[in-house]
Amino acid sequence: MTNYIPIINILILILFSFVMMLFKDKKKIKYISIGSNLVVFLLSIFLMVYSISREVITLSIGNPNNLLGIEFYIGKSESVVTLVFTFVMLMILWFSNFALEKEVPENRISFFYVLINILLASLLGVIYSNDLFNSYVFIEVSTLSACGIIILKDKKENIKATVKYLIMSTIGSGLVLMAIAYIYSITGHLNISLIHETIVGNYQYHENAVLIILGLFTIGLGIKSAVFPLHSWLPDAHSSAPTPASAALSALVIKVYVFMLMKVLFRMFNYEIVNSFIIMDIILLLGSMGMIFGSIMAIMQKELKRMVAYSSVAQMGYIVFGIGLGTVTGTAIAIYHIIGHAVTKSSLFLISGLFIEKTGSKKIEDLKGIGREMPLTLGLFTLGAFSMVGIPILPGFISKWYLSLTCIEVGRVPLILIILASSLLNVLYYFPIVINGYFGNDNLDGKVYNSKKVEFIRILPIVLLVLAMMIIGGISFNLIELFNI
Amino acid sequence: MERDIILKEVGKILIPLIQLFGLYVIINGHLSPGGGFSGGTILGTSLIIMHLIYGKDFIMKIYSRKRLITSLSISLIFYTLIKGYSFLSYQLHLPHPSAGVTGRILSAGFILPLNIAVGFLVASVFYIIFTIFINSEV
Repeated sequence: MTNYIPIINILILILFSFVMMLFKDKKKIKYISIGSNLVVFLLSIFLMVYSISREVITLSIGNPNNLLGIEFYIGKSESVVTLVFTFVMLMILWFSNFALEKEVPENRISFFYVLINILLASLLGVIYSNDLFNSYVFIEVSTLSACGIIILKDKKENIKATVKYLIMSTIGSGLVLMAIAYIYSITGHLNISLIHETIVGNYQYHENAVLIILGLFTIGLGIKSAVFPLHSWLPDAHSSAPTPASAALSALVIKVYVFMLMKVLFRMFNYEIVNSFIIMDIILLLGSMGMIFGSIMAIMQKELKRMVAYSSVAQMGYIVFGIGLGTVTGTAIAIYHIIGHAVTKSSLFLISGLFIEKTGSKKIEDLKGIGREMPLTLGLFTLGAFSMVGIPILPGFISKWYLSLTCIEVGRVPLILIILASSLLNVLYYFPIVINGYFGNDNLDGKVYNSKKVEFIRILPIVLLVLAMMIIGGISFNLIELFNI
Repeated sequence: MERDIILKEVGKILIPLIQLFGLYVIINGHLSPGGGFSGGTILGTSLIIMHLIYGKDFIMKIYSRKRLITSLSISLIFYTLIKGYSFLSYQLHLPHPSAGVTGRILSAGFILPLNIAVGFLVASVFYIIFTIFINSEV
């Protein structure tokens, strides 16, 4: 029965999102939403325990023959990513239980819970699916539900950001569809394993076509996951959305597309094939540019949520950088950074939502002295910032350390400078908030200790996220061993 | 004298026929061209025509907003349950409806109930989209 957990996960989420539409009472909707996500989280724990002890789970759906049916492929990395995603989503739902009323109009709150269930289901679908067209369908579903949770707030900036996101991601999925059509016309398959068997022997007869396919996949999925020059929709969308929605978008949504890019590059083709094309160098270049320019643009921001959103662009740079190195360890670190960043960025977004709610201002400069008013909250923010900057034991440091080691391994030592520069730039925009929050007589003048305290039940999900972040940092060695595509 | 008397009388004859045709397209979806989506749009169109001819109050008595949402979500739940069962049934070796004789209405396994679910879903969504545009409210 454990074999079927992936599809049961998706079915539970989708089924209960439709059940929620039957109810008017918001309390019931919240219970159903949190209950279904809790069930999915528990099932994911089983799935991870089960999949660590064996090689791969393949699950045929519709037809036992994978020429005709759809196939799910769950390796160790998929199950770990699933566990982290469901955990983060559960914490976000817990947080939104208390916070959503303050941002979203009363009659739209139920939409959020419906959409977030569909969103998580489609994200899990993209992660599990071993079939290109099936992944495409899940990508479309996730895009539309992501647009839905951005526009919930019904303000001018939200509508603008959503239209921008919708147009950009439609272009992205159009490119992905075109790439799928190309690969189907060459190989006659949509199943990734079957395409792999077909293309490994005779890719050299279709070199240009393979190059086009790789380019289309990279740009199409790159737009959706906000890789540096294609990121322009991200800051608007993620900063204007309601806080739980922006946490979900930044922590989970943009990650799955990169995960699918990894599957396309390294499972559909393999390391040898993709390394013989120029595309890996371009991916590496985009990653390095994202690491530097994302951080520089984050420094220039005046609003807290926009800054955190730009920081996501920089962190996506790390993930793409790991892919671009084109080695097994590089990919493992990319996956590690996906889960590390998922827990860190979701907690940072939720904390910035609390700051904005309590101070009533979006600006960074109004956060001076916040450490006296909300000491615990800023403490958690500090831990998240430490991870982003790369203080040892926290996941940010681990990914940077292993990325540097991999750079040396592949003989590209100068790239370490980029990692170093990006870390220093991260310090420049995260630490002023912490320093101005805790220290400085001018900043602390007239602030009352613990005056803007948040109830503990509201902070608890963030505490759990930060704890999970530390655990992920602590067991990093075992985790990176597990990851392979 | 009412102004729209011709429309109303013609509507009385035409709307049942349109709805009957919509149901025919849905139920015959697995045998002839058509199916859940096309039949659902025909049903939805009949609702829109009713709204235009007889006005909002008349149709809200029969198909109130709440009822539309309920029919929408129940057909979605129905669809998910059947489709989920059919996804799981192949590998778990659960009983599976037989394909039946070609040409009969009760054949082709799950396709008929799925078509019916899709038909009602599409009809409700069609009419809801129309009301969103006309009332400019969600």
